[in-house]
Amino acid sequence: MSITLDQVTKHYGGVPVVNDVSLDIGDGEFFVLLGPSGSGKSTLLRAIAGLTGVDHGRIALHGRDVTHVAARKRGVGLVFQNYALFRHMTVAENIEFALRVRHVRARERSRRRQELLRLVALEGLDQRLPAQLSGGQQQRVAVARALAHKPEVLLLDEPFGALDAKIREELRRTIRQVQRELGITTVLVTHDQEEAFAMADRIGIMNHGRLLEMGAPHDLYSRPATRFVATFLGAANLLLARRTPDGIQMGVSTVAAAERSPDLGEHEVVAVVRPEEVELAASRDALKSGYLARGVVDEVMFSGALESLRVRLANGAQAPLLAHANGAAGASLQVTRTQPEQRGFEVRPGQEVAIGVRRVHVLPTPLSSFTACAVSAALAEALSRQPLLAELAARMHTRIAPRVEPHLGVPDAPSATDEPSVGATAIAGGSDCSRRAEWLLRRGAREVLVLPEQPAVPQRVLIHWMSDASRSATLAVSASVLRHVAAEAVYVSIFPEERAGEQRHGLRELLDARSEAQLAHGLEMRTELRFGDVASELARRLAEAPAQMLIVGLSDLTGFAASFRVLLETGQWPVLIVYRASP
Amino acid sequence: MAAALPAAHGGDLTRPGQHTWVHAIVRWVFIATSLAFLAALLLAPLATVFAMAFQRGPYAYLESFADPDTAAAIRLTLTTAAVAVPINTVFGLAAAWAIAKFEFRGKSVLITLIDLPLAISPVISGMVFVLLFGLHGWFGAWLRDHDLSIVFALPGIMLATMFVTFPYVARELIPLMQQLGNDEEEAAITLGADGWMTFFRVTLPKIRWGLVYGVVLCNARAMGEFGAVSVVSGHIRGLTNTMPLHIEILYNEYNFVGAFAVASLLTLLAGLTLVIKTAIERTGYRRRR
Repeated sequence: MSITLDQVTKHYGGVPVVNDVSLDIGDGEFFVLLGPSGSGKSTLLRAIAGLTGVDHGRIALHGRDVTHVAARKRGVGLVFQNYALFRHMTVAENIEFALRVRHVRARERSRRRQELLRLVALEGLDQRLPAQLSGGQQQRVAVARALAHKPEVLLLDEPFGALDAKIREELRRTIRQVQRELGITTVLVTHDQEEAFAMADRIGIMNHGRLLEMGAPHDLYSRPATRFVATFLGAANLLLARRTPDGIQMGVSTVAAAERSPDLGEHEVVAVVRPEEVELAASRDALKSGYLARGVVDEVMFSGALESLRVRLANGAQAPLLAHANGAAGASLQVTRTQPEQRGFEVRPGQEVAIGVRRVHVLPTPLSSFTACAVSAALAEALSRQPLLAELAARMHTRIAPRVEPHLGVPDAPSATDEPSVGATAIAGGSDCSRRAEWLLRRGAREVLVLPEQPAVPQRVLIHWMSDASRSATLAVSASVLRHVAAEAVYVSIFPEERAGEQRHGLRELLDARSEAQLAHGLEMRTELRFGDVASELARRLAEAPAQMLIVGLSDLTGFAASFRVLLETGQWPVLIVYRASP
Repeated sequence: MAAALPAAHGGDLTRPGQHTWVHAIVRWVFIATSLAFLAALLLAPLATVFAMAFQRGPYAYLESFADPDTAAAIRLTLTTAAVAVPINTVFGLAAAWAIAKFEFRGKSVLITLIDLPLAISPVISGMVFVLLFGLHGWFGAWLRDHDLSIVFALPGIMLATMFVTFPYVARELIPLMQQLGNDEEEAAITLGADGWMTFFRVTLPKIRWGLVYGVVLCNARAMGEFGAVSVVSGHIRGLTNTMPLHIEILYNEYNFVGAFAVASLLTLLAGLTLVIKTAIERTGYRRRR
């Protein structure tokens, strides 16, 4: 491996900017770190270059641990967004700088310079000053300068940011060509997905300091695992749907899913429909693909090769639309159509159409939406405006549905409706909330989020499961939450006091949990081993610092209220209970 | 856009940059005003200095430099500047580097402290040293026991001059270095340069014009400082009189030719500094071509 990152973490003022990033980049690979500004991608690149130290974790280049090696001894080439050429030196002096530093002889220096100038197609400009070159030429000089000392790794920090579109494309091609010719491992940081698609062998997508997903461009586009990647990489319509044994049920119709799901139970899921996978026709019968709903065309925009439309789902469509590309929740579906499609069926604003879906991708996330549950409509409404819940829902591009249960918490009282719980059910904290949580869990709720009055957005999430049966569900839910908050994940394993001697066994379990989180859910977490009573150990840990959250998994509700009272009713921390009954 | 403008102005073609008679008058008025102002405030007093110095002819002018006290004053001023300017240049570089490149506690306090000598009266800057090192000052007794004199001697004059002139280089460099940023230095480091190399090969060439300008200002003030030096000098003729102090003494003794002769020399020294600065800039410019 050329570059190995192991749990690299960097904090600025207590906030993790780079959060537990682990990554392997192979020899000669072109890896693109993609993310919105502030996602931590540039900080990560600077950490690889050695210009920024890390608080935790390990960085290795070609198997050599360089975590504590000075930047100038790492042997990397770095290209900056604003070129950072030495403005008082000529092109030749700029390119030869790294060789001069290494006391290379003049003849050898000039030979290498000619070679590099040919590589970046700038022959003959040796004696110019940077100010006499265009932006594109300056960036080519910067690339040549970064390659002069034959670095093992080339790092590019938004190298095309300051260039206009045509030059950008030309330079992109040059850099890709140079990279192939030299076979040098390259990491490029960008916020431009088109650039990432054009250049990458593999893309890693970052948000809130976490590396959310990585993979080949095509795989990431067609099978994203998270809402963020689905909406950030290209445009996407997110819809709430139900997974049934027959397929994905969206509204009145059922569409076959693009891939099979291992989870057999019927439950709510988040479906991704790309704008180009939507088909429009005059009537349901004229559709070649699965029927979704009827709709009204709101807007038609011609943009050259493609036509982009917004189609409002007609009333009665039962598939709630969550969001599309720009993240704004709305009732209209984003659609793009090619020229042949346009010729086959022309539409105008205001026209009523039948909407079909060619391909649906279901996100593996277990947290599809939230339900705010309380004894009255007013309280449910108030709870859905609770800042932390609203913030989580907004970040997850999902909705909060109210649910009124007049007998919430009254033992043996039935549920007010026959409808099953959907998504994670949120209830208010405070006295008696452990009984209310148990009431919901016994009536089919799979996740219950207990919100105290004024919880902060968590900076640390503690994860614990009471039994192995709930382990993988807890990890999945934790991964889903942690993709949307910039918090560090800590798995706390707790052993009863009398088994303190079995520390080895405990450590083994920690490592297993860590690797499962990493492999199955892309979640990096720290691990802690504690001894004592589970509930009081967790409560003690949560009381140590503010802005913490607990995610706890269980598969048995015996004695729930008694053991959870201390955890749920005493502190100002939110608790998310993941319940999966043992088979 | 340009085509749309006349229409937007109702067909009026008067735009900035066009030669109309209104424009010509405005330009003439502005140039005349600034030249008149310059002449009244700058050229007239300078001309007076030279006119007074030469009023008894060139012989009397040259003779006034033969006076050993005058020669001593010139020597003292040059020595003081030669010590104060390099020290303040190094300090200014270090302070500007620290402020522009690092984040640390007390950064704003440091910036304020650097400005302090500009804000307080030079007389007070002199008084501080008398209070510290004078006979009845905090360290006075100890200095007397060890037979050291600071106030009313060369060290005092140098300290006072350095105190008054230390903001100039730093003030010039801080905004410049903040504006130029860190990227070139970081690039140099990733290319394998160490700290010294980065400083001499990348940072110093980058900031040299700001540095030259700061040094010139610092030097001009070091040679011309009156207030602070006056307090610590003790006005001992031939020993602790700098050129500005010596001018005052000669003037008070109605030796106008002598006073203005020294004054003209001080003016010439200032002029020389400017010439040196321009010369350095010129060579730098030619090399860049």
